[in-house]
Amino acid sequence: MATDRIESSLVIERTYRADVEELWALWTTKDGFESWWGPDQFRAEVHSIEARPGGALRYDMVADTPEAIAAMEQMGAPTSQPCRGSFTEFRPYERLVLTQLIDFLPGVEAYDSSMTVDFFPLAAGEVRMVVTLSQMHDAPTTAMQREGFTSQLAKLDRRYGA
Amino acid sequence: MHIDPFETLADPTRRRVVDALRGGERQVNDLVAVVGIHQSGVSRHLRILSEAGFVAMRPDGQRRLYSLKPDRFRELDAWLAQYRMLWEARLDRFGAALEARQQQRNAQRSMEDDGD
Repeated sequence: MATDRIESSLVIERTYRADVEELWALWTTKDGFESWWGPDQFRAEVHSIEARPGGALRYDMVADTPEAIAAMEQMGAPTSQPCRGSFTEFRPYERLVLTQLIDFLPGVEAYDSSMTVDFFPLAAGEVRMVVTLSQMHDAPTTAMQREGFTSQLAKLDRRYGA
Repeated sequence: MHIDPFETLADPTRRRVVDALRGGERQVNDLVAVVGIHQSGVSRHLRILSEAGFVAMRPDGQRRLYSLKPDRFRELDAWLAQYRMLWEARLDRFGAALEARQQQRNAQRSMEDDGD
């Protein structure tokens, strides 16, 4: 039921002294994407990045420090995680929407997460980049998923004697 | 029991009640007009919002005045802030990667210039 779904979003923006082409390349090329993507202590290994509307993006998220590797192992999680998504909107130097399927969280049903990146060239060689992150939560199942997740963690605790 | 704040606010009518309270204290009858549902419905939503900690009630003579309580909203904000921080850190790395590329490009340019 549509009314039971809530979309949460987060907007974050930065202004860079750069050409918009340079910013665009950091999102849409293998080298560019690998040079910054991923949470701290992880790196991305891109297998394919199709720079066109509807183009696929496939990469592995790899734990990149001894601490991160130890943390993943302790959680019983793989130290390298395949990720896939697609550029559901692709308007060079203006707007990019990357939709990713989040299907690797234990106990959480697969869901789509999307980020929209808007580029606004300003005067004087600066570009404002606005990233909007949104996720669709299904409110009643969110609670159930949390329980599933908690029980999963409890299982792991037992297995690893935490 | 800790009530899931997202579940509480998932109901669109309840969000209208919350919106209507943003301007300050209201009585049930005021809310009936703004929210557009029957009084029993408004009362039920106010009770659920109170149980979840989003709304407080203050008696004033014969009247009961409802208002928003900030604490739960702060919790939601704090929860979101964690994700904001992750993304701030990500964009820090984006900025650093950008600078590295720019420096590399400038170095290449000046080498080419030297070669001329």
